[in-house]
Amino acid sequence: MSKSKNVRRTFLRSTVAAVSMFVAGSAVAGDFDGVTLKVATWGGSWKANIEKVIMPKFEAMGGSIEFVTGSPQANLAKLIAGRGRAPFDVMEVLDAQEQDFFATNEFLQKIDLSKVTNTENLEDWQYSDWRVASWHTQESICYNRDKFAELGIDAPTTYADLVNEKLAGRISIPDITSGGGLANFAAISHAAGGDEVNVKPGLELITKLNALKFWSRGGEVVTQLQSGDVYAAVVHSGWCVRARNAGVNVATVHPVINDQHTGVHKYGWLVIMKSSENAAAASWFINEYNEPEFQLEYARNSGVVPVNHKAIEELKSDPVLAEMLQLESEDINKQLRIDYSKANISDWTDQWNRTVSQQ
Amino acid sequence: MAIDKSNQTSSYSSMDMVTRLAARRPVGPPPKRGLPWGKYFHYFFCSLSYIFLLSPMIVVIGASLHGGEYYTAIKFPPDEPSLQWYWKIPKGQLEALGLSFGLAGLTALGACIIGIPAALGIVRGKIPGKTLISAVFRAPLQIPAIVTGIAFLQLYYLFGDATGLYFQGTFLGLYIGHLFVATPYVVGTVTAILQRFDTRLEEASFSLGASKLSTFRRVTLPVIMPGVYAGALYAFMVSFGDVPISIFLTAPGFVTYPIELFYGMENDFDPSILASASLVIFFCLLVLLGMQKLVGLDTLLRSGSR
Repeated sequence: MSKSKNVRRTFLRSTVAAVSMFVAGSAVAGDFDGVTLKVATWGGSWKANIEKVIMPKFEAMGGSIEFVTGSPQANLAKLIAGRGRAPFDVMEVLDAQEQDFFATNEFLQKIDLSKVTNTENLEDWQYSDWRVASWHTQESICYNRDKFAELGIDAPTTYADLVNEKLAGRISIPDITSGGGLANFAAISHAAGGDEVNVKPGLELITKLNALKFWSRGGEVVTQLQSGDVYAAVVHSGWCVRARNAGVNVATVHPVINDQHTGVHKYGWLVIMKSSENAAAASWFINEYNEPEFQLEYARNSGVVPVNHKAIEELKSDPVLAEMLQLESEDINKQLRIDYSKANISDWTDQWNRTVSQQ
Repeated sequence: MAIDKSNQTSSYSSMDMVTRLAARRPVGPPPKRGLPWGKYFHYFFCSLSYIFLLSPMIVVIGASLHGGEYYTAIKFPPDEPSLQWYWKIPKGQLEALGLSFGLAGLTALGACIIGIPAALGIVRGKIPGKTLISAVFRAPLQIPAIVTGIAFLQLYYLFGDATGLYFQGTFLGLYIGHLFVATPYVVGTVTAILQRFDTRLEEASFSLGASKLSTFRRVTLPVIMPGVYAGALYAFMVSFGDVPISIFLTAPGFVTYPIELFYGMENDFDPSILASASLVIFFCLLVLLGMQKLVGLDTLLRSGSR
């Protein structure tokens, strides 16, 4: 084969490849022309992460993203008030809302999983036609190492270890209405010998804890730890990471719940609303949310744990996160997953109000 | 000499008076007067009240000047004071702030347009069921705002289903909700002024040949103006600070400032929130100073308290 033929063939191949890339690129670029995707999510840095990583990609394809900021509970209230008609296409849902969303799926439409290719990096139970997991938090005990050393108390390994005279009035636990309130209440109930149906042992243990404060926003815990008002808090590890970054000498403990479980987690899910007319864009968004790039962005900023295996692997190189989070599959699988389908949340709240709020 | 004598006489007289006054005094050292404890207590109590009222603002403004790294909790007093967080206020917060100011201004204006004629009708109108009408205008203040928000959202859906005009998720829908809760304040303050209005002023105007419109513009309106200002100020504040109604009626593209802060704080703490909140505090102080110059805050408080 002559040299000129080789050069011609190489040139031809390069041209074909370039044209193919251009055509493919154009198709992608125009996929969401004129589409405005409305996303119901939290405000602040959470929304800022989406604006930073996902939004530019969507805009490059001709679309735009608008946000309905609010907690999943507030957005559920909007859905109910609107009789299922949502002012958004895709929504972040908590696992504690199992019965509200997934018992009948009446608010939802099916997700086109063929467009959510990142599901290949998730556990099987983390996705279905109706929902795809997007993150998880590891609910833990965050304690001030210096204060514990001063008081001569060993690091806690269980919730019961916090029942200590020296810690009276120095514990902070989540109020039942807070984001992690239900998960931690259920975990404490399990640890005290109860379960999702029988939460009474949990209430008794919480009463004995002699808490200073029942926090409603995680940010409060960081302030309490920083000011020295609180020596230990039941909170997700992300807040403990943030307290460490704020200069407090804290560590996390993933409490032993029972023989099978150590630690407890809370999951976030993404769903597409029944009233959405942008299902394809919503599926694309869900896939992008599970891209390692985005999952690492929020994990590094907030200590919230990715669900994508590749992102979890990469996170192990971060010394603070690797120390404070459980990142090995074996450990994650040992964490307690609350079965909210068994829970009567109104009854939990009633019992909480009667017992804990009366303290 | 005469002059000297008179001076002498006068001098003696003064001396006599001093002597007489001195004689009236009780003999011995002057009585010990007790410390003005009441006065001290008054100052102490007032200082405590001021500290109580102003300390949240001082902490917010002070912490907004923190010049160090990003931190996850309020840092007061600030390290290395700087204005860095004022330059880092996110665009979303500024947009929300602009929207809230615009919405609150329009709400105050709309509340005046509805509230002034309503107050005139309630006080002057010879219509049956005035008490009931007055109660209806006060009703929005009796309903919990969260219920108002849900009710409006459902109403908009029902109205939309019936007419094809959907107000939910629109600026107009949000505006109507705010107007609903803000109008009673204007009605209340203007009614209070009108009830002690001397109608002879208007009669004098009519007797001098002025028309009804001219009398209203030149006599009635200037007299009720403090009530209008007070009502408009309340309406502005109610709209600007509203959370429960806006939670249900805001939509993508227009989120009010309190909602932006509320949900921003729920997930995370960002010091730029303190910076934008400080700007709002300064703006409110400017508005209050402006109102003081314009009509006097004591007038506003009097008309508002009736």
